Amino acid sequence: MSVVIPWLGQFAKGAVVVLGVALVALVLTIVWGLLGAAAKLSGNRIAGAIADAYTTVFRGTPELLVLLIIYFGSAVTLTWIGKQLDPSVRFINIPPFWAGAVAISLIVGAYATETFRGAFLGVERGQVEAARALGLSSSQTFFYVRLPQMWRLALPTFGNHMISIVKDTALLSVIGLEEIMYVAERGMTMTNKPFTMYAVVAVFYLAFVSLIIIAVARLEKRLNRHLVRAR
Amino acid sequence: MSFDVALILQSLPQILEGVGLTVQLHLISLAAGTLLAVGLALLRISPNPALSWPALVYIYVFRGTPMLVQVAIVYYGLAQFEMVRNSPLWPTLREPFWCAIIAFTLNVTAYTAEILRGGIQGVDRGLLEAGKSLGLSAWHRFTRITIPIAMRLSIPAYGNEMISLLKGTALASMITMYDVTGVARTIVSRTFAPYEIFISAALVYLALTWVIQQGVKFAERYFNRHLRK
Repeated sequence: MSVVIPWLGQFAKGAVVVLGVALVALVLTIVWGLLGAAAKLSGNRIAGAIADAYTTVFRGTPELLVLLIIYFGSAVTLTWIGKQLDPSVRFINIPPFWAGAVAISLIVGAYATETFRGAFLGVERGQVEAARALGLSSSQTFFYVRLPQMWRLALPTFGNHMISIVKDTALLSVIGLEEIMYVAERGMTMTNKPFTMYAVVAVFYLAFVSLIIIAVARLEKRLNRHLVRAR
Repeated sequence: MSFDVALILQSLPQILEGVGLTVQLHLISLAAGTLLAVGLALLRISPNPALSWPALVYIYVFRGTPMLVQVAIVYYGLAQFEMVRNSPLWPTLREPFWCAIIAFTLNVTAYTAEILRGGIQGVDRGLLEAGKSLGLSAWHRFTRITIPIAMRLSIPAYGNEMISLLKGTALASMITMYDVTGVARTIVSRTFAPYEIFISAALVYLALTWVIQQGVKFAERYFNRHLRK
Protein backbone atom coordinates (compact mmCIF):
# COMPACT_ATOMS: atom_id res chain seq x y z
CA MET A 1 0.00 0.00 0.00
CA SER A 2 2.90 2.36 0.77
CA VAL A 3 3.63 2.44 -2.93
CA VAL A 4 0.48 4.54 -3.39
CA ILE A 5 1.46 7.34 -1.01
CA PRO A 6 3.70 9.28 -3.42
CA TRP A 7 0.87 9.10 -5.96
CA LEU A 8 -1.87 10.40 -3.71
CA GLY A 9 -1.36 14.01 -4.80
CA GLN A 10 -1.80 13.03 -8.45
CA PHE A 11 -4.83 10.94 -7.60
CA ALA A 12 -6.34 13.87 -5.73
CA LYS A 13 -5.80 16.10 -8.77
CA GLY A 14 -7.38 13.44 -10.96
CA ALA A 15 -10.33 13.23 -8.59
CA VAL A 16 -10.86 16.98 -8.89
CA VAL A 17 -10.91 16.59 -12.69
CA VAL A 18 -13.47 13.78 -12.39
CA LEU A 19 -15.69 15.94 -10.20
CA GLY A 20 -15.35 18.88 -12.60
CA VAL A 21 -16.29 16.86 -15.67
CA ALA A 22 -19.13 15.20 -13.79
CA LEU A 23 -20.52 18.55 -12.66
CA VAL A 24 -20.47 20.05 -16.16
CA ALA A 25 -21.96 16.84 -17.57
CA LEU A 26 -24.67 16.88 -14.89
CA VAL A 27 -25.82 20.36 -15.86
CA LEU A 28 -25.83 19.48 -19.57
CA THR A 29 -27.61 16.18 -18.87
CA ILE A 30 -30.46 18.08 -17.21
CA VAL A 31 -30.62 20.43 -20.22
CA TRP A 32 -30.76 17.58 -22.79
CA GLY A 33 -33.19 15.64 -20.62
CA LEU A 34 -35.59 18.56 -20.26
CA LEU A 35 -35.37 19.42 -23.97
CA GLY A 36 -35.90 15.79 -24.95
CA ALA A 37 -38.83 15.34 -22.58
CA ALA A 38 -40.39 18.61 -23.80
CA ALA A 39 -40.02 17.47 -27.41
CA LYS A 40 -41.57 14.09 -26.68
CA LEU A 41 -44.50 15.61 -24.81
CA SER A 42 -45.02 18.54 -27.18
CA GLY A 43 -47.28 16.64 -29.55
CA ASN A 44 -45.22 18.14 -32.36
CA ARG A 45 -44.46 15.27 -34.72
CA ILE A 46 -41.08 16.47 -35.96
CA ALA A 47 -39.80 17.37 -32.48
CA GLY A 48 -41.06 14.03 -31.19
CA ALA A 49 -39.36 12.09 -33.97
CA ILE A 50 -36.05 13.88 -33.37
CA ALA A 51 -36.26 13.13 -29.64
CA ASP A 52 -37.12 9.48 -30.34
CA ALA A 53 -34.13 9.16 -32.66
CA TYR A 54 -31.93 10.80 -30.02
CA THR A 55 -32.92 8.41 -27.22
CA THR A 56 -32.75 5.32 -29.46
CA VAL A 57 -29.28 6.12 -30.79
CA PHE A 58 -27.68 7.24 -27.54
CA ARG A 59 -29.12 4.41 -25.47
CA GLY A 60 -28.12 1.77 -28.02
CA THR A 61 -24.53 2.81 -28.75
CA PRO A 62 -21.60 1.95 -26.47
CA GLU A 63 -20.51 4.88 -24.32
CA LEU A 64 -16.94 4.43 -25.52
CA LEU A 65 -18.01 4.77 -29.16
CA VAL A 66 -20.04 7.92 -28.48
CA LEU A 67 -17.02 9.43 -26.78
CA LEU A 68 -14.73 8.57 -29.69
CA ILE A 69 -17.19 9.95 -32.26
CA ILE A 70 -17.60 13.23 -30.38
CA TYR A 71 -13.91 13.75 -29.65
CA PHE A 72 -12.35 12.66 -32.93
CA GLY A 73 -15.32 13.74 -35.03
CA SER A 74 -15.29 17.26 -33.65
CA ALA A 75 -11.53 17.41 -34.21
CA VAL A 76 -11.96 16.49 -37.89
CA THR A 77 -14.72 19.06 -38.34
CA LEU A 78 -12.90 21.84 -36.50
CA THR A 79 -9.66 21.15 -38.35
CA TRP A 80 -11.51 21.27 -41.65
CA ILE A 81 -13.14 24.60 -40.75
CA GLY A 82 -9.79 25.93 -39.56
CA LYS A 83 -8.10 24.94 -42.81
CA GLN A 84 -10.73 26.84 -44.82
CA LEU A 85 -9.93 29.98 -42.85
CA ASP A 86 -6.17 29.51 -42.66
CA PRO A 87 -4.45 26.83 -44.77
CA SER A 88 -1.50 26.61 -42.36
CA VAL A 89 -3.70 25.15 -39.61
CA ARG A 90 -2.64 21.60 -38.67
CA PHE A 91 -5.03 20.29 -36.07
CA ILE A 92 -7.75 21.74 -33.86
CA ASN A 93 -9.61 19.80 -31.22
CA ILE A 94 -12.05 20.39 -28.41
CA PRO A 95 -10.19 19.99 -25.08
CA PRO A 96 -10.81 16.45 -23.73
CA PHE A 97 -12.47 17.92 -20.64
CA TRP A 98 -15.25 19.54 -22.67
CA ALA A 99 -15.55 16.82 -25.31
CA GLY A 100 -15.85 14.29 -22.48
CA ALA A 101 -18.45 16.29 -20.57
CA VAL A 102 -20.53 16.76 -23.73
CA ALA A 103 -20.29 13.06 -24.69
CA ILE A 104 -21.26 11.83 -21.23
CA SER A 105 -24.11 14.32 -20.98
CA LEU A 106 -25.52 13.28 -24.37
CA ILE A 107 -25.49 9.62 -23.33
CA VAL A 108 -27.02 10.08 -19.90
CA GLY A 109 -29.30 12.83 -21.26
CA ALA A 110 -31.01 10.21 -23.41
CA TYR A 111 -31.89 8.22 -20.29
CA ALA A 112 -32.87 11.40 -18.45
CA THR A 113 -35.23 12.28 -21.32
CA GLU A 114 -37.27 9.16 -20.59
CA THR A 115 -37.12 9.72 -16.83
CA PHE A 116 -38.28 13.34 -17.09
CA ARG A 117 -40.97 12.44 -19.61
CA GLY A 118 -42.42 9.85 -17.26
CA ALA A 119 -42.16 12.22 -14.30
CA PHE A 120 -43.95 15.06 -16.15
CA LEU A 121 -46.72 12.62 -17.00
CA GLY A 122 -46.87 11.71 -13.32
CA VAL A 123 -47.81 15.25 -12.29
CA GLU A 124 -51.56 15.33 -11.93
CA ARG A 125 -53.42 17.17 -14.65
CA GLY A 126 -55.53 18.82 -12.00
CA GLN A 127 -52.46 20.66 -10.73
CA VAL A 128 -51.92 22.27 -14.13
CA GLU A 129 -55.60 23.10 -14.49
CA ALA A 130 -55.66 24.63 -11.00
CA ALA A 131 -52.63 26.76 -11.87
CA ARG A 132 -54.28 28.00 -15.04
CA ALA A 133 -57.50 28.68 -13.18
CA LEU A 134 -55.51 30.80 -10.71
CA GLY A 135 -54.29 32.83 -13.67
CA LEU A 136 -50.68 31.61 -13.79
CA SER A 137 -49.13 32.00 -17.23
CA SER A 138 -47.91 28.84 -18.95
CA SER A 139 -44.28 29.60 -18.10
CA GLN A 140 -45.24 30.25 -14.47
CA THR A 141 -47.17 26.99 -14.48
CA PHE A 142 -44.10 25.24 -15.82
CA PHE A 143 -41.61 26.68 -13.34
CA TYR A 144 -43.74 26.83 -10.20
CA VAL A 145 -46.06 23.86 -10.60
CA ARG A 146 -44.91 21.27 -13.10
CA LEU A 147 -41.11 21.40 -12.71
CA PRO A 148 -40.93 21.11 -8.89
CA GLN A 149 -43.41 18.23 -8.81
CA MET A 150 -41.79 16.48 -11.75
CA TRP A 151 -38.42 16.77 -10.01
CA ARG A 152 -39.70 14.97 -6.92
CA LEU A 153 -40.93 12.04 -9.00
CA ALA A 154 -37.81 11.92 -11.19
CA LEU A 155 -35.26 12.10 -8.38
CA PRO A 156 -34.86 8.40 -7.45
CA THR A 157 -34.18 7.42 -11.06
CA PHE A 158 -32.19 10.55 -11.71
CA GLY A 159 -29.94 9.55 -8.82
CA ASN A 160 -28.98 6.48 -10.85
CA HIS A 161 -28.25 8.73 -13.83
CA MET A 162 -25.90 10.78 -11.65
CA ILE A 163 -24.08 7.58 -10.73
CA SER A 164 -23.80 6.72 -14.43
CA ILE A 165 -22.31 10.15 -15.14
CA VAL A 166 -19.61 9.67 -12.52
CA LYS A 167 -18.80 6.11 -13.61
CA ASP A 168 -18.61 7.10 -17.28
CA THR A 169 -15.82 9.56 -16.47
CA ALA A 170 -13.50 6.53 -16.21
CA LEU A 171 -13.57 6.34 -20.01
CA LEU A 172 -12.07 9.78 -20.45
CA SER A 173 -8.48 8.61 -20.06
CA VAL A 174 -8.96 7.22 -23.58
CA ILE A 175 -9.02 10.75 -24.99
CA GLY A 176 -6.13 11.82 -22.78
CA LEU A 177 -7.90 13.54 -19.92
CA GLU A 178 -5.73 13.34 -16.80
CA GLU A 179 -8.32 11.86 -14.45
CA ILE A 180 -7.79 9.09 -11.88
CA MET A 181 -7.79 6.27 -14.42
CA TYR A 182 -5.03 8.09 -16.30
CA VAL A 183 -3.02 8.53 -13.11
CA ALA A 184 -3.40 4.80 -12.38
CA GLU A 185 -2.17 3.91 -15.87
CA ARG A 186 0.94 5.99 -15.37
CA GLY A 187 1.37 4.71 -11.84
CA MET A 188 1.14 1.16 -13.11
CA THR A 189 3.97 1.55 -15.59
CA MET A 190 6.21 3.30 -13.09
CA THR A 191 5.66 1.15 -10.01
CA ASN A 192 4.69 -2.20 -11.53
CA LYS A 193 1.83 -2.42 -9.02
CA PRO A 194 -1.22 -2.46 -11.31
CA PHE A 195 -3.61 -4.06 -8.84
CA THR A 196 -2.85 -1.54 -6.12
CA MET A 197 -3.22 1.38 -8.52
CA TYR A 198 -6.55 0.30 -9.95
CA ALA A 199 -7.83 -0.66 -6.50
CA VAL A 200 -7.22 2.96 -5.49
CA VAL A 201 -9.28 4.08 -8.51
CA ALA A 202 -12.06 1.70 -7.48
CA VAL A 203 -12.04 3.14 -3.95
CA PHE A 204 -12.32 6.68 -5.33
CA TYR A 205 -15.31 5.73 -7.47
CA LEU A 206 -16.98 3.88 -4.60
CA ALA A 207 -16.59 7.01 -2.50
CA PHE A 208 -18.11 9.23 -5.20
CA VAL A 209 -21.00 6.84 -5.76
CA SER A 210 -21.64 6.53 -2.01
CA LEU A 211 -21.75 10.31 -1.68
CA ILE A 212 -24.33 10.51 -4.47
CA ILE A 213 -26.44 7.81 -2.85
CA ILE A 214 -26.39 9.64 0.48
CA ALA A 215 -27.12 13.01 -1.12
CA VAL A 216 -30.03 11.66 -3.15
CA ALA A 217 -31.53 9.95 -0.10
CA ARG A 218 -31.39 13.24 1.82
CA LEU A 219 -32.83 15.20 -1.06
CA GLU A 220 -35.63 12.68 -1.46
CA LYS A 221 -36.48 13.01 2.20
CA ARG A 222 -36.59 16.78 1.84
CA LEU A 223 -38.72 16.72 -1.31
CA ASN A 224 -41.16 14.29 0.28
CA ARG A 225 -41.41 16.16 3.59
CA HIS A 226 -45.00 17.15 2.85
CA LEU A 227 -45.93 13.47 2.74
CA VAL A 228 -44.65 12.78 6.26
CA ARG A 229 -47.54 12.58 8.68
CA ALA A 230 -47.66 14.91 11.65
CA ARG A 231 -46.98 13.27 14.96
CA MET B 1 -14.94 18.00 -45.47
CA SER B 2 -16.37 14.91 -47.06
CA PHE B 3 -18.31 11.93 -45.90
CA ASP B 4 -16.69 9.00 -47.67
CA VAL B 5 -19.41 6.45 -48.40
CA ALA B 6 -17.02 4.24 -50.37
CA LEU B 7 -14.83 3.94 -47.28
CA ILE B 8 -17.82 2.72 -45.26
CA LEU B 9 -18.63 0.06 -47.81
CA GLN B 10 -15.01 -0.93 -47.93
CA SER B 11 -14.64 -1.17 -44.14
CA LEU B 12 -17.97 -2.74 -43.34
CA PRO B 13 -16.84 -6.35 -43.94
CA GLN B 14 -13.96 -5.84 -41.48
CA ILE B 15 -16.26 -4.26 -38.89
CA LEU B 16 -18.73 -7.11 -39.30
CA GLU B 17 -15.91 -9.55 -38.59
CA GLY B 18 -15.79 -8.01 -35.12
CA VAL B 19 -19.43 -8.90 -34.54
CA GLY B 20 -18.53 -12.54 -33.86
CA LEU B 21 -16.28 -11.57 -30.97
CA THR B 22 -18.73 -9.00 -29.61
CA VAL B 23 -21.56 -11.54 -29.62
CA GLN B 24 -19.35 -14.22 -28.02
CA LEU B 25 -18.27 -11.90 -25.23
CA HIS B 26 -21.87 -10.89 -24.71
CA LEU B 27 -23.46 -14.33 -24.67
CA ILE B 28 -20.81 -16.10 -22.58
CA SER B 29 -20.69 -13.46 -19.88
CA LEU B 30 -24.47 -13.07 -19.92
CA ALA B 31 -25.02 -16.80 -19.43
CA ALA B 32 -22.36 -17.18 -16.75
CA GLY B 33 -23.43 -13.98 -15.00
CA THR B 34 -27.09 -14.95 -14.94
CA LEU B 35 -26.36 -18.35 -13.42
CA LEU B 36 -24.18 -16.82 -10.72
CA ALA B 37 -26.78 -14.11 -10.15
CA VAL B 38 -29.42 -16.65 -9.18
CA GLY B 39 -27.18 -17.84 -6.35
CA LEU B 40 -26.20 -14.33 -5.36
CA ALA B 41 -29.82 -13.15 -5.29
CA LEU B 42 -30.72 -16.07 -3.00
CA LEU B 43 -27.88 -15.13 -0.66
CA ARG B 44 -28.96 -11.51 -0.79
CA ILE B 45 -32.52 -12.26 0.36
CA SER B 46 -31.43 -14.73 2.99
CA PRO B 47 -32.55 -13.77 6.51
CA ASN B 48 -29.13 -14.86 7.76
CA PRO B 49 -26.87 -11.78 7.80
CA ALA B 50 -23.76 -13.96 7.43
CA LEU B 51 -25.09 -14.82 3.96
CA SER B 52 -26.81 -11.60 2.96
CA TRP B 53 -24.06 -9.20 3.98
CA PRO B 54 -21.30 -10.55 1.72
CA ALA B 55 -23.82 -10.55 -1.15
CA LEU B 56 -24.75 -6.96 -0.38
CA VAL B 57 -21.11 -5.86 -0.29
CA TYR B 58 -20.35 -7.66 -3.56
CA ILE B 59 -23.29 -6.00 -5.29
CA TYR B 60 -22.40 -2.59 -3.86
CA VAL B 61 -18.77 -2.78 -4.99
CA PHE B 62 -19.47 -4.05 -8.50
CA ARG B 63 -22.31 -1.64 -9.16
CA GLY B 64 -20.42 1.24 -7.59
CA THR B 65 -17.30 1.09 -9.74
CA PRO B 66 -16.91 1.62 -13.50
CA MET B 67 -16.71 -1.56 -15.58
CA LEU B 68 -13.50 -0.25 -17.16
CA VAL B 69 -11.85 -0.28 -13.73
CA GLN B 70 -13.02 -3.87 -13.23
CA VAL B 71 -11.61 -4.88 -16.61
CA ALA B 72 -8.30 -3.18 -15.79
CA ILE B 73 -8.06 -4.89 -12.40
CA VAL B 74 -8.57 -8.33 -13.93
CA TYR B 75 -6.39 -7.79 -17.01
CA TYR B 76 -3.51 -5.72 -15.59
CA GLY B 77 -4.05 -6.09 -11.86
CA LEU B 78 -3.92 -9.84 -11.31
CA ALA B 79 -0.41 -10.07 -12.73
CA GLN B 80 0.85 -8.20 -9.68
CA PHE B 81 0.49 -11.35 -7.57
CA GLU B 82 3.11 -14.03 -7.86
CA MET B 83 0.57 -16.55 -6.66
CA VAL B 84 -1.55 -15.84 -9.74
CA ARG B 85 1.41 -15.89 -12.10
CA ASN B 86 2.52 -19.25 -10.77
CA SER B 87 -0.91 -20.79 -10.78
CA PRO B 88 -2.05 -23.26 -13.44
CA LEU B 89 -4.75 -20.74 -14.38
CA TRP B 90 -2.20 -18.17 -15.50
CA PRO B 91 -2.20 -19.13 -19.21
CA THR B 92 -5.95 -18.43 -19.17
CA LEU B 93 -5.75 -15.30 -17.04
CA ARG B 94 -3.17 -13.85 -19.41
CA GLU B 95 -5.60 -14.02 -22.33
CA PRO B 96 -7.47 -10.76 -22.89
CA PHE B 97 -10.51 -12.76 -24.00
CA TRP B 98 -10.87 -14.56 -20.68
CA CYS B 99 -10.05 -11.45 -18.68
CA ALA B 100 -12.86 -9.64 -20.48
CA ILE B 101 -15.23 -12.55 -19.87
CA ILE B 102 -14.32 -12.67 -16.17
CA ALA B 103 -14.75 -8.93 -15.67
CA PHE B 104 -18.02 -8.74 -17.61
CA THR B 105 -19.40 -11.79 -15.80
CA LEU B 106 -18.59 -10.40 -12.36
CA ASN B 107 -20.28 -7.15 -13.35
CA VAL B 108 -23.43 -8.69 -14.84
CA THR B 109 -23.77 -10.96 -11.82
CA ALA B 110 -24.09 -7.97 -9.50
CA TYR B 111 -26.68 -6.14 -11.59
CA THR B 112 -28.71 -9.25 -12.42
CA ALA B 113 -28.77 -10.42 -8.80
CA GLU B 114 -30.33 -7.11 -7.83
CA ILE B 115 -32.90 -7.46 -10.65
CA LEU B 116 -33.79 -10.99 -9.58
CA ARG B 117 -34.05 -9.92 -5.96
CA GLY B 118 -36.57 -7.29 -7.02
CA GLY B 119 -38.48 -9.92 -8.98
CA ILE B 120 -38.53 -12.43 -6.14
CA GLN B 121 -39.59 -9.84 -3.58
CA GLY B 122 -42.25 -8.55 -5.99
CA VAL B 123 -44.15 -11.82 -5.88
CA ASP B 124 -47.48 -11.24 -4.15
CA ARG B 125 -47.43 -12.74 -0.64
CA GLY B 126 -51.01 -13.85 -1.07
CA LEU B 127 -50.03 -16.25 -3.81
CA LEU B 128 -47.45 -17.90 -1.56
CA GLU B 129 -49.98 -18.09 1.26
CA ALA B 130 -52.47 -19.67 -1.12
CA GLY B 131 -49.80 -22.21 -2.10
CA LYS B 132 -49.13 -22.96 1.54
CA SER B 133 -52.80 -23.48 2.30
CA LEU B 134 -53.00 -25.86 -0.66
CA GLY B 135 -50.27 -27.89 1.02
CA LEU B 136 -47.38 -27.11 -1.34
CA SER B 137 -43.97 -27.64 0.25
CA ALA B 138 -41.54 -24.72 0.50
CA TRP B 139 -39.60 -26.14 -2.44
CA HIS B 140 -42.71 -26.40 -4.57
CA ARG B 141 -43.84 -22.93 -3.61
CA PHE B 142 -40.46 -21.61 -4.67
CA THR B 143 -40.16 -23.48 -7.96
CA ARG B 144 -43.81 -23.38 -9.06
CA ILE B 145 -44.91 -19.97 -7.80
CA THR B 146 -41.98 -17.69 -6.96
CA ILE B 147 -39.68 -18.50 -9.87
CA PRO B 148 -42.16 -18.19 -12.76
CA ILE B 149 -43.65 -14.96 -11.43
CA ALA B 150 -40.27 -13.49 -10.50
CA MET B 151 -39.02 -14.23 -14.00
CA ARG B 152 -41.96 -12.42 -15.52
CA LEU B 153 -41.44 -9.41 -13.25
CA SER B 154 -37.70 -9.31 -14.00
CA ILE B 155 -37.90 -9.35 -17.79
CA PRO B 156 -37.98 -5.61 -18.52
CA ALA B 157 -35.05 -4.80 -16.24
CA TYR B 158 -33.15 -7.87 -17.42
CA GLY B 159 -33.63 -6.71 -21.01
CA ASN B 160 -32.05 -3.37 -20.13
CA GLU B 161 -29.18 -5.18 -18.47
CA MET B 162 -28.60 -7.25 -21.62
CA ILE B 163 -28.36 -4.06 -23.64
CA SER B 164 -26.09 -2.39 -21.15
CA LEU B 165 -23.80 -5.45 -21.21
CA LEU B 166 -23.73 -5.34 -25.01
CA LYS B 167 -22.54 -1.75 -24.81
CA GLY B 168 -20.08 -2.71 -22.10
CA THR B 169 -18.41 -5.30 -24.35
CA ALA B 170 -16.95 -2.35 -26.29
CA LEU B 171 -14.48 -2.05 -23.41
CA ALA B 172 -12.81 -5.22 -24.70
CA SER B 173 -11.20 -2.94 -27.29
CA MET B 174 -9.28 -1.31 -24.42
CA ILE B 175 -7.45 -4.56 -23.72
CA THR B 176 -6.27 -5.19 -27.29
CA MET B 177 -9.29 -7.12 -28.55
CA TYR B 178 -10.79 -6.81 -32.01
CA ASP B 179 -14.48 -6.67 -31.26
CA VAL B 180 -16.65 -4.26 -33.29
CA THR B 181 -15.22 -1.23 -31.48
CA GLY B 182 -11.69 -2.60 -31.56
CA VAL B 183 -11.81 -3.12 -35.33
CA ALA B 184 -13.31 0.34 -35.82
CA ARG B 185 -10.57 1.97 -33.74
CA THR B 186 -7.87 0.22 -35.78
CA ILE B 187 -9.40 1.38 -39.05
CA VAL B 188 -9.73 4.93 -37.78
CA SER B 189 -6.12 5.03 -36.64
CA ARG B 190 -5.18 4.14 -40.22
CA THR B 191 -7.65 6.29 -42.18
CA PHE B 192 -8.49 9.03 -39.68
CA ALA B 193 -12.12 8.97 -40.81
CA PRO B 194 -13.84 8.86 -37.41
CA TYR B 195 -17.33 9.77 -38.60
CA GLU B 196 -17.61 7.14 -41.31
CA ILE B 197 -16.11 4.28 -39.33
CA PHE B 198 -17.40 4.95 -35.83
CA ILE B 199 -20.91 5.67 -37.09
CA SER B 200 -20.88 2.40 -39.04
CA ALA B 201 -19.81 0.61 -35.86
CA ALA B 202 -22.57 2.39 -33.94
CA LEU B 203 -25.11 1.15 -36.49
CA VAL B 204 -23.91 -2.40 -35.90
CA TYR B 205 -24.52 -2.00 -32.16
CA LEU B 206 -27.92 -0.44 -32.80
CA ALA B 207 -28.85 -3.46 -34.92
CA LEU B 208 -27.74 -5.82 -32.15
CA THR B 209 -29.67 -3.76 -29.60
CA TRP B 210 -32.74 -4.06 -31.80
CA VAL B 211 -32.37 -7.85 -31.89
CA ILE B 212 -32.23 -7.95 -28.08
CA GLN B 213 -35.27 -5.69 -27.82
CA GLN B 214 -37.26 -7.95 -30.12
CA GLY B 215 -36.26 -10.95 -28.03
CA VAL B 216 -37.36 -9.18 -24.87
CA LYS B 217 -40.69 -8.24 -26.45
CA PHE B 218 -41.24 -11.84 -27.46
CA ALA B 219 -40.40 -13.08 -23.97
CA GLU B 220 -42.71 -10.50 -22.39
CA ARG B 221 -45.57 -11.58 -24.63
CA TYR B 222 -44.90 -15.20 -23.77
CA PHE B 223 -44.76 -14.69 -20.01
CA ASN B 224 -47.79 -12.40 -20.01
CA ARG B 225 -49.92 -14.61 -22.22
CA HIS B 226 -52.39 -15.22 -19.38
CA LEU B 227 -53.18 -11.49 -19.35
CA ARG B 228 -54.23 -11.42 -23.00
CA LYS B 229 -57.92 -11.05 -23.61
